[in-house]
Amino acid sequence: MSTSTTEQPGSTGASTDLTLSYWNGVKAVFGLEMRQRLRARAWYIMLVIWFFVIGLVFLLASVTTAATEGSGAILFDLVVGFVLFFGLLVAPGLSANAVNGDRAAGTLAILQITLLTPGQILWGKWLASWVASLAFLLVSSPFIFWALALGGVNPAEAFTSLLMLSVELGIVSAIGIGISALANRPLFSIVTTYMVVALLGIGTLITFGLSYALVDEENVEVTYSYLDYPPGTDFSAPIPASVELECVTRTQLQTVHHTDRTTWLLAANPFVIVADSVPYSRGGDFGQVSQPANPDVYVQPGIMEGISVGVRLLQAGPDYETTCEEAQGFGRDLPDESFPIWPLGLVLQSALAGGLLWLGRGKLATPARRLAQGTRIA
Amino acid sequence: MNNEYGGIVATGIARSFGTVAAIRHIDFAAPPGEVTALIGPNGSGKTTLLLILASLLAPDTGTLTVGGVDPLRDAAAVRRTVGWMPDTLGVWESLTATEILTTMGSLYGMPSDRRRERAAELLAAVRLEEFADKPARVLSRGQQQRLSLARALIHDPAVLLLDEPASGLDPGSRVELRATLRSLADQGKTVVVSSHVLSELDEIADRAVFINRGESVKNQTLDEAGTQIRRYYIQADPMEPLAEALTSHGVTFEVRGDSRRAEYQVMMSSTDQAAWLLRTLILADVAITAFAPAGGALEETYMSLDTDRQ
Repeated sequence: MSTSTTEQPGSTGASTDLTLSYWNGVKAVFGLEMRQRLRARAWYIMLVIWFFVIGLVFLLASVTTAATEGSGAILFDLVVGFVLFFGLLVAPGLSANAVNGDRAAGTLAILQITLLTPGQILWGKWLASWVASLAFLLVSSPFIFWALALGGVNPAEAFTSLLMLSVELGIVSAIGIGISALANRPLFSIVTTYMVVALLGIGTLITFGLSYALVDEENVEVTYSYLDYPPGTDFSAPIPASVELECVTRTQLQTVHHTDRTTWLLAANPFVIVADSVPYSRGGDFGQVSQPANPDVYVQPGIMEGISVGVRLLQAGPDYETTCEEAQGFGRDLPDESFPIWPLGLVLQSALAGGLLWLGRGKLATPARRLAQGTRIA
Repeated sequence: MNNEYGGIVATGIARSFGTVAAIRHIDFAAPPGEVTALIGPNGSGKTTLLLILASLLAPDTGTLTVGGVDPLRDAAAVRRTVGWMPDTLGVWESLTATEILTTMGSLYGMPSDRRRERAAELLAAVRLEEFADKPARVLSRGQQQRLSLARALIHDPAVLLLDEPASGLDPGSRVELRATLRSLADQGKTVVVSSHVLSELDEIADRAVFINRGESVKNQTLDEAGTQIRRYYIQADPMEPLAEALTSHGVTFEVRGDSRRAEYQVMMSSTDQAAWLLRTLILADVAITAFAPAGGALEETYMSLDTDRQ
């Protein structure tokens, strides 16, 4: 045991020249984390399960939509929605024990005793858990490409969808890492991260729903028009073009829901962010697809496009002022002034994730002044 | 114990966790080129003190310098000079022994060729070459302990803090650990060892700091420890003539009850007195079969302190 050390007499101060650049520190932590993740069997098992579940959903969906016009777009939308849904389930599990799990295993102090700063530890761990969750996106890629191969999805739409999926996984990973630095027990931090993700996914919907009553405005005079079909019209058959329909316009007092004032509550919802950011270019009206060849064919929107259009409609607010022209069309034209709310959502989510990481960073600072009750640093 | 030479000087250190005072008042000094033992019963604050010295914990009060630097001012400078071997066995289980050491090297900013070289060298030193490419989870406790020592030495630190390094080691490895620590000290490094295996420390430590209930109660060098009053155990066959001879020379003795065989315990103020007694007993034709100090010098100090071992 004594041999190696005696070979370097007078090497007492040899280590004082060591420096660790910020990026090298992040890289080293990332490498360490990735090595451990790649060697853990559980991760591969999860990937296999994921592959089969997505595959099953995809196959079932492709069978049911096979006869539908534009099934490629619907399938693509479905895969994106599903990958996002599952990603929100998986990402907290991959990130929310990264720091306190190390603390429990006694390996966090090993990192802290080196030249690493808390920031480098958090960056490295975040990047590693993000990459680990992106692997799930990668495993879903056969189905994504399959859906793309069926046609009907433009490249910008596909690219934006996948990019935003990745961003969402990254944000959820960051939330998980931040909470795992703050909480003492891995179980607690994983559950808390799931709660936060549920708050974003479902809590925003509930809040929006509950706020509905707050934006009611009673006794608003609205003017609306409708087509007056002659009595005894048979709606089961196409109405002959020869029938001249009269457009009736009326005015009445009614309660109006000003959803335009509360739609921002939905902004932080991951599904809304992804759906809202994608530039769907398949038609102007809800459900109407402008296919140059046959413009009148009705094509159903996919899940994500449906969310997108729904949010834009809510954002535009109530429109009870139907004109005769609108009454004849498929639906209502989205007003041009509707603006995307996904940037707001991204800002809100990033602020949440960033805040948690910033608080977590304080917990990792050494020499530590405050320790949580019952924890030993080593 | 001048700062210019590195080493550790800590005065008036106190640290509490909530309402629990882990360290009330500790004065601690470890000069370079010597092995300093940190001795105290379980829960006396040894590990907490080492965490403070390793710049992981901040003291509530008190001043300290490690390698001439205050960890609260410049933790990075302290970390460059400190190697810390924790009492818990935290290892990255899926990594191989070599990877653990090279990873550690990279976290200290060592260039890749240097850390590979150093890892191989240290693995040879702690006799773990055959496990170089095996995951750390297959290592036994003692082997992990040795790997932990190698990990603490990866950046060739000038100050070495070892928390219970001998626990879990087989006798052969203990001897090697002793030799390693001795040679590190001879190179001018500051070595701090906490342990309660006092007989081990006796042979390697140059000085000892005794702490109890979070307070430093005694600070002595081994030379001082050697000159104090010590207990000796004497056995004879048969025991009766021994009792008579001791009584006739006015040496008080007591029968030791915790041994398998009958033994008498006497207090000797110096080694000269012990030599005189042995000579006297042999000349009195007592058939002495054993005549030895009851324990090491440090153990003697430890037992003489009013420590509580609950």
